[in-house]
Amino acid sequence: MSQLAQLKILIADDHFLVRQFVRNTLQEAKITNIQTAADGNEAIDLIQKAKDVKQPYDIVFLDWNMPTISGLEVLNYFRTRPEYAETAFVMLTAESEQQNIMKAIKAGATSYIIKPVSPGDLSKKLFEIHEWIKRKRQKDHAAQS
Amino acid sequence: MGLTTQNLRLDDTLSQEVTMAVVGAVQTTFSVTVAAGQPEVGRGMVSLVGDVSGVIALVQEGLEGTMTLCMTFETVRDLLPRIVGSSISVTHEMTVDAVGELTNMIFGQIKTQLNGRGYGLKLGIPSVVTGKGHFVSQFHRGSYMIIPFYLDGQLFQVHLALYEGGKDSDSILGSV
Repeated sequence: MSQLAQLKILIADDHFLVRQFVRNTLQEAKITNIQTAADGNEAIDLIQKAKDVKQPYDIVFLDWNMPTISGLEVLNYFRTRPEYAETAFVMLTAESEQQNIMKAIKAGATSYIIKPVSPGDLSKKLFEIHEWIKRKRQKDHAAQS
Repeated sequence: MGLTTQNLRLDDTLSQEVTMAVVGAVQTTFSVTVAAGQPEVGRGMVSLVGDVSGVIALVQEGLEGTMTLCMTFETVRDLLPRIVGSSISVTHEMTVDAVGELTNMIFGQIKTQLNGRGYGLKLGIPSVVTGKGHFVSQFHRGSYMIIPFYLDGQLFQVHLALYEGGKDSDSILGSV
């Protein structure tokens, strides 16, 4: 199994259509360890529980506008906790104004993808994010040794 | 120095932005081909007939309006298996969800594109209305634009209504 196929991924979006669209694209890349959340609270809960059992998510896709807690708030919450530094938080949203993109990048988003996105473009992003994860882990391990 | 605010008009600029956003969102998400028809502009109230509609308010200084995406259940039910697969039955909730998300993507993109050129638009919270053969009617004294779109022989429409307080509705009619 390739490294990419072993990724553990959470898709947090209140729209079923988007959750299914992203899941399809990930499955095309042979990724099977995929979970979904329909709002920000559920996303936080799943991310924390996965960490507690030492099986953290590698990538979390976050919609911006979700019920209860927004994707940006979820991002802010985890980026202030160093134990989640190796998780890639990716905004996947229809919010396409420059000021919002800057806000998310400043908050520590690993990548920012504007919907609609084609399966091909999402796959390309997935490879870039996977490279980011590998570089981040190498850097962190080098700093520890 | 900031950009001078551009006044929104029911003209070629707007119809082109709407067409690009609709075609882009539907084609990219569902991998289908969408063709746009000729926009129609007019004054006063007009009713759209559809089964599921996404409606969002838009505001610019001195101007208010709505944008509506109006589809039939049949159109949405033809689109959704492209995402969920043909073995899953398309539910009412799925059609509402799909039109809600398309509304977000389409009108969010229109706002971003126009604001990048100095229009200063703000959008309200999107709503989705469902009901077989419902009418969407905007009660206003302004003007409207309807753009038809065709998808595998099926029609869906985008309707824009604009009202500029205190001015004759002709002032926001452009040429299309």
